[in-house]
Amino acid sequence: MPYYDEIELGDEIGPVEKVATDDEVSNFCDVWGAPTPNRFTDPAIAEKAGMKGTIVPGIMTMAMMAQLLTNWGGPGSIKDLDLVFRQPVPHNRVLTLAATITDLREEDGENLVECDILMTGTEGERYVGGKAIVALPNR
Amino acid sequence: MAMELDYDRSLYGVEHQAGPFEITDEIIDRANSSTGETGAAFRSDEGAKEAGYRGRIAPPTLCCILVRQVSLPDVKVKFGKTQMHAGQRVEPKAPVYAGDLLTASSHLKDVYAKTGRSGTMVFVVWETTFTNQDGQVVAEVQESFAKRE
Repeated sequence: MPYYDEIELGDEIGPVEKVATDDEVSNFCDVWGAPTPNRFTDPAIAEKAGMKGTIVPGIMTMAMMAQLLTNWGGPGSIKDLDLVFRQPVPHNRVLTLAATITDLREEDGENLVECDILMTGTEGERYVGGKAIVALPNR
Repeated sequence: MAMELDYDRSLYGVEHQAGPFEITDEIIDRANSSTGETGAAFRSDEGAKEAGYRGRIAPPTLCCILVRQVSLPDVKVKFGKTQMHAGQRVEPKAPVYAGDLLTASSHLKDVYAKTGRSGTMVFVVWETTFTNQDGQVVAEVQESFAKRE
């Protein structure tokens, strides 16, 4: 885990690559309580809804983005994760997750690291983007 | 000039309750396996204790998964045909432990229009507070849904 006093503006978190498989999306829908089949699990339903194929639920992409941060800053480090689902995320494709540190500040006794966070595709698609605030300890 | 929106404004100030949701090991396991979560504190008591917790904790977005189980009324926005999940925000406030019982309270936060390059969209924002069995707030979750022309 990094320490707050080691971090500089512009530092990167990641990138890491992930793939959301058909099975993982189906399992996620079960946990989430989404009745299946749906546009996340059934290509015909997805196409009827105007998608090119089945898509990954936004909340599942959020869980993946949170992992990028907790793997870096620790399990309880996230203070705020605010995401915009910009375009449908396909199954079984390589997704690249990364964040860039944009602000460092001490607030209410905590060392806060603010960053821009982004999930992109192999063709430069900007699938999910937003901001996050993570708290880190001093050395 | 701001666009005049037609929707059910009587929903403001109304809280919609749901739960209790029992945070079982099984739910955490299933959430972990479907998202590839490998963090030790989310996988076992031992891993969590090494990180300074009293026991296994849930990943920070588990409340975002649970929020779907809150039954929310139709805001009756008279705009557009298709609706999509536009965004989500979570502010974890305290650890959620395996074995916790969470309750949720949701309210309509905002309805607003925004015009960009792809036209006008109307956003409906719901805010949900999750509280544990001790009355401690563990997370605030915002969900944003967009209706397109």
